[in-house]
Amino acid sequence: MSWIPFKNNNPKKQIISKTVERDFEREYEKLQKIEDQTKKLHKDMKKSTEADTAMSKAAVKISSDLLSNPLCEQDPQFLKSMTALDTAMRRMDAFNQEKVNQIQKTVIEPLKKFSSVFPSLNMAVKRREQTLQDYKRLQSKVEKYEEKEKTGPTMVKLHQAREELRPVREDFEAKNKQLLEEMPKFYHSRIDYFQPSFEALIRAQVAYFTEMHKIFGELTEQIDQPGLTDEQRERDNEARLSELKALSIVADD
Amino acid sequence: MENKMKQIFRPKMYIGEGRRSTDTVVAENVTDTSGTIRRSQSDRTEYGKKLKDKMASQDTPTSSCSALDPQEIRSKMMAKRLKVIQELLQTEKDYLTDLELCIKEVVEPLKDIQAVEVDRLFINIESIKQVSASLLANLEEATAGVDPEIQIIGKTFSHVKAEMEEAYKIYCYHQDDANSLLSTYEKDEEVNQQFINCIMTLKTIYDREGKSNLLNMRSFMIKPVQRVMKYPLLLRELWNCTPDSHPDIRPLEEALNSVNIINSNINEFKRGKDLVMKYKKNEEEGRLRNKINKFSFHSLRKKSDRVTGHIKRITGKEPRIKDEKFDKEEKMFKNIEKAVRQLTKNVSDLLQALEGISTAAQNDQQLQSMLLDPDKCESECPLDTKNGSNPYLHFKNKLEHLVLKPLSTLQSMFVAPQKLIQKRYDKLLDYDSSRERSSDELELARRDYEALNAQLVEGLQVFNPASKKILTNCIYFIVALFQDLMNSTHRKFPSIQHLSAPLSNISEVQNSIMEELNNLLFVKENAPKLIERKLSFDKPKRPAPESPRQSEAQRVKVLSTYPLDKVHQLKRNCNATQERDLSLFEGELVAVIEQQDPLGSTSRWLVDTGSEKGYVYSSFLKPYNPIKEQNGNPQDREVDFDDVSIFVNGSKRNSMKSLNSFSSINDIQDWTETDDNDSSGNTDDQQIFYAVYPFQARCEQELSLLEYQRVRILKFCDASGNREWWLAEANEQKGYVPANYLGKMSYA
Repeated sequence: MSWIPFKNNNPKKQIISKTVERDFEREYEKLQKIEDQTKKLHKDMKKSTEADTAMSKAAVKISSDLLSNPLCEQDPQFLKSMTALDTAMRRMDAFNQEKVNQIQKTVIEPLKKFSSVFPSLNMAVKRREQTLQDYKRLQSKVEKYEEKEKTGPTMVKLHQAREELRPVREDFEAKNKQLLEEMPKFYHSRIDYFQPSFEALIRAQVAYFTEMHKIFGELTEQIDQPGLTDEQRERDNEARLSELKALSIVADD
Repeated sequence: MENKMKQIFRPKMYIGEGRRSTDTVVAENVTDTSGTIRRSQSDRTEYGKKLKDKMASQDTPTSSCSALDPQEIRSKMMAKRLKVIQELLQTEKDYLTDLELCIKEVVEPLKDIQAVEVDRLFINIESIKQVSASLLANLEEATAGVDPEIQIIGKTFSHVKAEMEEAYKIYCYHQDDANSLLSTYEKDEEVNQQFINCIMTLKTIYDREGKSNLLNMRSFMIKPVQRVMKYPLLLRELWNCTPDSHPDIRPLEEALNSVNIINSNINEFKRGKDLVMKYKKNEEEGRLRNKINKFSFHSLRKKSDRVTGHIKRITGKEPRIKDEKFDKEEKMFKNIEKAVRQLTKNVSDLLQALEGISTAAQNDQQLQSMLLDPDKCESECPLDTKNGSNPYLHFKNKLEHLVLKPLSTLQSMFVAPQKLIQKRYDKLLDYDSSRERSSDELELARRDYEALNAQLVEGLQVFNPASKKILTNCIYFIVALFQDLMNSTHRKFPSIQHLSAPLSNISEVQNSIMEELNNLLFVKENAPKLIERKLSFDKPKRPAPESPRQSEAQRVKVLSTYPLDKVHQLKRNCNATQERDLSLFEGELVAVIEQQDPLGSTSRWLVDTGSEKGYVYSSFLKPYNPIKEQNGNPQDREVDFDDVSIFVNGSKRNSMKSLNSFSSINDIQDWTETDDNDSSGNTDDQQIFYAVYPFQARCEQELSLLEYQRVRILKFCDASGNREWWLAEANEQKGYVPANYLGKMSYA
């Protein structure tokens, strides 16, 4: 990115070696990628936790509506199974909430914090870039003067330019060095940073699904006799539907 | 022949709407005298006429022969009785033969070629045959070799009446459908040809036996209907000619009753269906024109009656007509409908929520890939790429298919019964209200109501259990699907023991890393300034300082040690922010020792609280006025820069005011410093105003102002103390300006 304007100016003379530039680029790119990933993941995780919550709330609504239906009064078996269903759904909701909280704490917030470092990084890179531009500008000025014939005023100007150049160059060198040192550190830190998050995420999910597995394990028996397979049940449904259709009070001619 | 054919063939047994005179298939009730027995057109068969003639010829003698010997009468009656029994047996035999032939030569072949829906055409003709066969067997048993004096015919009918009713009910019920189906079939060349073939076969058989009264398919189909209507006639005749002393008299009466009841039941059953059809059809034709057509006086009257009836019912008056069974069924119906409706909606919501989840599973992968370095492999936790989308997608699809679809279909089926229930209620109201009126209307209303009621009760008794089962099945599916979902995701995860031990101090670890990061130079230098400003805004929100409130003794000390003009009062709570700052509460008294701080800033003053000395920002202080204090003037509470009254009242204050204005002039330099604390406030601000509107001076003492011109206020009142005119200065000029033209300079 910084080569291109440079190429226009003076492709032959290079202020910073290509390797240095390349290293810098590479590190910066890696960090940019991490930045994007962090942002995206943060957004996605938020969405997914919201979706989880929505789903378990919908499930609870199903069961509580059914439980509150007067059918339960007339039929004690129905009441029993609906109560079981409702209990299960509520437990699912509770566990889900816990899971969401856990994920919130161990994954979503750290993601946010991590991405808060990036603005500073970008700012620093920008500043380095500015310094580089200044550096190049002054450098070319110096070279221009150097190429001129060595008259008095030129010499003075040359000297002046050199004086100007020096602090800028030093500034640039400093910035460059700093960034080159610190970017890999930053990059590397993500592992230690996110490893626990990752583990926590997996752990939360495993815990949740283990619980769910237990909760739903016995539930089917309580709802209805499990004698029929799914297909049989499906066919049963169809049969009854057509039975209903045949009723005169229902049928359309 | 042709005439007879037309007479036999009638598309509908009776017409559902309006006219009833020719409707009923059978005699209205048993007590009708024989002379007024109504017959339907289809009754005028050749056979029926023959029978009538036969009987008529017997009738007159019996009714007019009072002078004859009772013994003679009796023997004549017995003779007739025998004849009738003979007739009965013979006709039943013929009928049975017809049925058997029909089945053998028509129904079976048609079934074989499978071009025709035989069941819909001939319905349950086999059952009818069975009934007839058993009736015939019974009759033969009752008459063969049995003395006429003790022949009991009535019982034979009573034995078969249940099956008879069942079989014929169904047959007659579907007769209309069968007829219309037949018409459609006849239009089809091929099928028609088949029919003709069968008929030809039958015809040859019949011709062989000398009977030629078969005509076409329709005549066959209508035979059972005709037969069942004949039973009452036959039995009546038999009863009429059975002497009272004959043991058969009672059984015959019962039998006659039963067949009459059978016939009327069949009628009612059909009427119920027709009513249902009628109302269903009407509901569908919702076009405006139809609606207007229906809007007649009659319908208006009906509707208004219904409304009053309804109100009567619900205003606690004991409802007169009630059907417990129906009510129970209706309640269940309503509950099931509600459950289905809610479930459908909730399941749709659930599916929507699921949309969000299926994308979420990719998060695990993303997180993992973040940790991976393209240069080196670092992933430690072995997690096989969980194809998270699959279990959820599967769940979603199955849920739609197994649950949502049937439920939606079921839900749509509730509509028609609901309308019928409403209609039934209307009929109920009609019936109720017509009780007060004439008996005709009553009868009509009663019939309508009961027919509809019976239909509905029967229908609902089937509907409710079936729909409930569907509901239960769907609930089962929901649970099973959840179970599958949880199981399959559970399986894909490593079990909890395989995971590395949880880091109990995740937050600490992460926080320390963050700190390290923040310590990186580039972060330190380049962190946005926002953070600092935020800190300063936080300050006022912090809870009140914990330093003890000033005690009375301290106040006294302050007041006594220092001259009054140095004593100031806190305008508000202040918290210490810098070194040697004091945290003080509103209303506390302090004495100002120095009006500047070691750094030279004149906005920070060194004060003495009576117990300690420290720095406080001058903007928090206002001159202490003991009088004001005693008055407890609430205005002081929120005295800010806006309250100019402090500068106006009291001579004592004037001196303080000058003190303040003096200090405020020094503050001007402070105003330009970018101090980190915004709320340090500058007394200078009080005096810079700007002109909201331009003002034209009308005399030399007034000052002209341009819009948005900045002026400094020297006095907040004019010479006579009028607070509405302020002494302002701008551009080296002084003059009075109206106070309400001025706006305060907000420190932006």
